[in-house]
Amino acid sequence: MIYLYKESFIDLLNLINYLLKNKIQPENIKNEFYLKTLLEETYYPFIEEDNGLCDRMINKIGIDSFTIIYYVFLSNVNDKELLIYKFLLNSLKYKDKIKYMRNIDCVSKCLKISRYVKHEAHKFKGFVRFSELNNCVLYSEIEPENNIILILSNHFKSRLKNEYWIIKDNKRNVISIYDKNNFYILDGNNIDISILKKKDCYEDMWKAFYNTIGIKERKNDKCRMNFMPKKYWKYIVEVNDNEKSDM
Amino acid sequence: MDLKEKLVILADSAKYDASCSSSGSKRKSGNIGNTSYCGICHSFASDGRCISLLKILLTNCCIFDCKYCLNRRSNNIKRAIFAPEEICSITINFYKRNYIEGLFLSSGIIKSPDYTMNLIIETISLLRNKYHFGGYIHAKAIPGTSKVLLNKLGKLVDRLSANIELPTDNGLKLLAPNKSSNKISEIMSYVNDNKSSKFVPAGQSTQMIIGATNESDLDIMNRSKDMYNKYKLKRVFYSAYIPVNKDKLLPTINTPPLVRENRLYQADWLLRYYNFKVSDILDKNNPNFNLLIDPKCDWALRHLDEFPKEINKCSYIDLLKIPGIGVTSAKRIISSRKYFSVDFKDLKKIGVVLKRAKYFITCNGKYFIDNNNFKRDFIEYNLMLEDKNNNDFIGKQMSLF
Repeated sequence: MIYLYKESFIDLLNLINYLLKNKIQPENIKNEFYLKTLLEETYYPFIEEDNGLCDRMINKIGIDSFTIIYYVFLSNVNDKELLIYKFLLNSLKYKDKIKYMRNIDCVSKCLKISRYVKHEAHKFKGFVRFSELNNCVLYSEIEPENNIILILSNHFKSRLKNEYWIIKDNKRNVISIYDKNNFYILDGNNIDISILKKKDCYEDMWKAFYNTIGIKERKNDKCRMNFMPKKYWKYIVEVNDNEKSDM
Repeated sequence: MDLKEKLVILADSAKYDASCSSSGSKRKSGNIGNTSYCGICHSFASDGRCISLLKILLTNCCIFDCKYCLNRRSNNIKRAIFAPEEICSITINFYKRNYIEGLFLSSGIIKSPDYTMNLIIETISLLRNKYHFGGYIHAKAIPGTSKVLLNKLGKLVDRLSANIELPTDNGLKLLAPNKSSNKISEIMSYVNDNKSSKFVPAGQSTQMIIGATNESDLDIMNRSKDMYNKYKLKRVFYSAYIPVNKDKLLPTINTPPLVRENRLYQADWLLRYYNFKVSDILDKNNPNFNLLIDPKCDWALRHLDEFPKEINKCSYIDLLKIPGIGVTSAKRIISSRKYFSVDFKDLKKIGVVLKRAKYFITCNGKYFIDNNNFKRDFIEYNLMLEDKNNNDFIGKQMSLF
């Protein structure tokens, strides 16, 4: 049986809590948008909302493990829900020692995935490029592998706290919009900035700086690509257009 | 001259400074900007080096005539000077667009060291006090400047650096006759004596040019070791010599000694994080690095009697001596083996890269293939082979900025 949950991390935790309580071993766990195949059976249990669940879980498994499963949830990995279920099952046995039990398959996988998500979020703290719209709002588009818009929003909330900014994740079609006070995650169809774009002399200066700062006697494309993979180039304005067109 | 042209001239003059790191500071958010303790790279230049800071000179005019330097007095090149407000507007506008983590401001010396320092201080205090900029700032301290100015600047920046330029005093006398190593060490000891959370919180660093003079790697490593011990430097940067001037005192080379530079960084890491001493890696009979094999592997091959090491038993310090095992891997092995006995399969799950390590370890007494293969020839041959494949497929050099 494939068990379904609504969409959010809290909904998933509620479902897993329900499964563990009733000693059910799911074949898989998916969100409600899952398209099942002919041979698969799905079940969407009604679970009453349990507000204290997160706190109880953190108490039980420790904040480190809780953070790990949150990052796994943000990843783009298939069957991540089932991994989280297995990780939680093992956490009940090993408590906060779980993060050392890397010989258990689901543990080493979850640790690896959470690191990968954290790593991508860290890279994007550098790779996000804002352009200034003609109403002074800073606007940026990204296409990360994982769902890191919340992590990035928290970062820019303290860094650019006195600016209006918008980050749009084109892969997931969501935006984060900041009003100098709080940010809000909304559906991507809510905005259209096409008429607000302007020519930006600082973008020109930045491109000129980028083309100057590399030392030609040390040119090393492979090294550059290791650190700044091609898949991220689309919105990185300083990478020359003719290099992008080779993609 | 428009601002863009100035920027190009003064970035071009600054690009030979290797440092671009933005780590080590926990500055709280100002009106705009904060710092991230681990540093953030915003882009990577065509040479693969990280771009984290807006690296520019205040001016490339200079009264000095250092032989190796593009900006020396006797060179006929375009000169420019930024007004403090111009630097502020570029920094703030680049920062807002998330191009950079902050500013790295250096300068040629105009009129006098103190005059130049005052301009640097004026610029940075504008950024901090008028624009309330909370991002990262790295500034160069000009040798020969007064302590009063050094004190002022240190309170405004995250990192300060003074370049020793060349590994030995003789080299400096020969190629940079206007600079003296006393003046540079005066800065370093002043910064070290006064370092606090409000004065140069991210510490100081320095840089030396490799291959412009004829020092051995042993001389260079000993100099680094002394500076790490004496002045608690955060980093020593090594910069492969690139000929930009013609001078009979300078060597003629076609390609910069990049592999040598890489070896120096690797050895530098061994000193700072792996409990190695200079005498472990180099000595009078072997004063230079083996360019074909990294210093840790080289050391291990010369000390095979200490290997193979048993993963489940050997100490943390011994784990760090195994080629291919770094600080993260060693810590993970220590915490894992408390709970289960580790075999080769587990090492992979733990995330240890076995490419090099497998030749130097046993797991529960077992070598990765038949024990009889644990011989110097076999290991050396295979390591070279791995390296060759590696160099063919990924340019793994220079990943240490």
